[in-house]
Amino acid sequence: MKKTIIAILGIGLCFSSVHAQEIIKLKPTQKKCIQVPEPSDIAFSVDGKSLFMVSDNGYLFETDLEGTILRKADYKGLDDEAVYVNESHVYVVEEFSRKIKMFRLPDLVLEKTVNVPYNGARNKAYEGFTYNKAKGVFTLVVEKDPIYVFELNEKLEKVNEINLGDIARDISSATYYDNHLWLLSDEDSTVFKLNPNDYSVISKWKIPVLNAEGLAFDAKGNFIVASDALQRLYYFSNPENN
Amino acid sequence: MKKTIYLLFILLIGSLGQAQISISNGEHNIEISSRISTYYNQRFLKPGEEERDKNRFRLRDAQLIIEGRIRDDWEYEVQVDFADIGSNNTGEIDAENPGLMDAFVTYKGLEAFNIKLGYSKLPYSRSSITPFPYSTYWQRAQIVRGDFFSRRDVGVTLYKDFWQKRVNAFAGVYTGLGESSLSGDNDASGNPEFVARVDVSYPAPMKNREIDYVHSSIPLFSLGLNGRYTNKNLPDGEAFPDGAAGEYGLKIVDGKKYTYGMDFTFQYKGFSGQFEIHQINAQPQNENDPLFLGLTPAQTEGRVLAGGYFSQLNYFVKDYNTIVSVRYEQLDLNDLNAGDSKRMSAAIAYQIDGFDAMVKLQYFNNLNDQESLDPLDWNQQIRLGLQFNL
Repeated sequence: MKKTIIAILGIGLCFSSVHAQEIIKLKPTQKKCIQVPEPSDIAFSVDGKSLFMVSDNGYLFETDLEGTILRKADYKGLDDEAVYVNESHVYVVEEFSRKIKMFRLPDLVLEKTVNVPYNGARNKAYEGFTYNKAKGVFTLVVEKDPIYVFELNEKLEKVNEINLGDIARDISSATYYDNHLWLLSDEDSTVFKLNPNDYSVISKWKIPVLNAEGLAFDAKGNFIVASDALQRLYYFSNPENN
Repeated sequence: MKKTIYLLFILLIGSLGQAQISISNGEHNIEISSRISTYYNQRFLKPGEEERDKNRFRLRDAQLIIEGRIRDDWEYEVQVDFADIGSNNTGEIDAENPGLMDAFVTYKGLEAFNIKLGYSKLPYSRSSITPFPYSTYWQRAQIVRGDFFSRRDVGVTLYKDFWQKRVNAFAGVYTGLGESSLSGDNDASGNPEFVARVDVSYPAPMKNREIDYVHSSIPLFSLGLNGRYTNKNLPDGEAFPDGAAGEYGLKIVDGKKYTYGMDFTFQYKGFSGQFEIHQINAQPQNENDPLFLGLTPAQTEGRVLAGGYFSQLNYFVKDYNTIVSVRYEQLDLNDLNAGDSKRMSAAIAYQIDGFDAMVKLQYFNNLNDQESLDPLDWNQQIRLGLQFNL
């Protein structure tokens, strides 16, 4: 029996070592525990002085850059999984209800709700939302089975859909920075840089974060990843300088 | 030619990727999914054994699953296995595949705790609770697959999580008849079974999964403690419903029964492991109960102990979509009998499309059961098949 066990484990180890891919592994420069429970996505404010975060249990927060809560919207959502901020509004995406909620930035009051129907599995739906400046469309990303990118117009109506195929086992966040679309995969612990026009992968980096659910870049290209399970923020230096 | 056939096979199955579907009005979401699995089983019998009826193809799962949720307050699920309903026409209920697998409603609108009502898995044993489609194996370890203690029952469960979901506590009361509760009435004692469980995970909450499919960047651990109690003293002349006591006659006892167990699991960088140990302390009310094996009260001290354990190690070879597992298990069905049984199982699963489409191969080795109360007629067994979650 010992031989069988050793053989099986040996096969596993051989497979893993022989096929190791050449992807750069990033190390966080620091990590911080935060007050926001189960953070599921993050976004920098336009001036870069604060963060907006949503949580699985349906809350929207604004925090300082250390994750300390500054204010909380008077709202209870259903499985909030994505957040995006522009000069006038905060957009929150509810995975359960398939709704995008627009909050006024100054007072975080809900102004508009738009339904974007999707008949995939309840917990394999919208996980990322951002604005693709290169194409002038909002980008709504489906987590898995399959990984879709839905392009939405200014009225948040679906105008195009792209199947990203086997880019990753899942996508847990999306953001736009430096004229590129950036995606985060929780199950693959990987950050992807994509061409915003054809969604081809340009680069990717491994990150040692458990249950990575949120991705946001500051003006210098440094980025923050939110860990849902550990309720932490991980800070990374600009990956393109590595 | 072989390559072409393989590519066609992968393409066809790979296109099944869009698994579950859901319907929603924004407040009420209903998800529909299905599960189909088929395997071929080959037994290598002990010398002198001739019964080869287990060398066959078997439809293991033909399940339809409907899960619903209404806002944050209500959840419900109905899960039916048509393969088991077909095979259960014999009148027997397979505890691992009982036909009706779930039919419950959960209310989450209270601050203090959630309430689950109906027929569902009992909060006892991590392995029993863990969804099986995420396993490398075709069969759970013997002690947790439903012959030693029941895995499902009708009743009410209260549960609550603490410390950011790292601690989960469950308590419930059920008929005590296990899977046989589907037949309707309670037994003649009319008494229920009480079940409780608490588990603690660190440093983060752990999903009920056997495999570390995300290659966790930090070590994760979880420890669970379980207990259950029932007192089913039958009136004179009464008997339990047919099949309720299970294959080993331990699932329900004419008297008091305490069951307790511990489970431990870890995950780190693709490696994962599970260990569970369980014991039954049965105190039949009658001196001539079959569990006493004909011994005198002085010899038995009025109680029978049965128990066992299993340990399992897994590694997910992520780059090759392959999982390898090995399991060792021991089972002692009655401490009044000297023997026990020991088994080893190894398994390998290739993911065609994640856990939604897998080829699985399991090898069983019956290491020793010569003095067991329930010896098998085979030494080794191989099971190979396909599993789909659609």
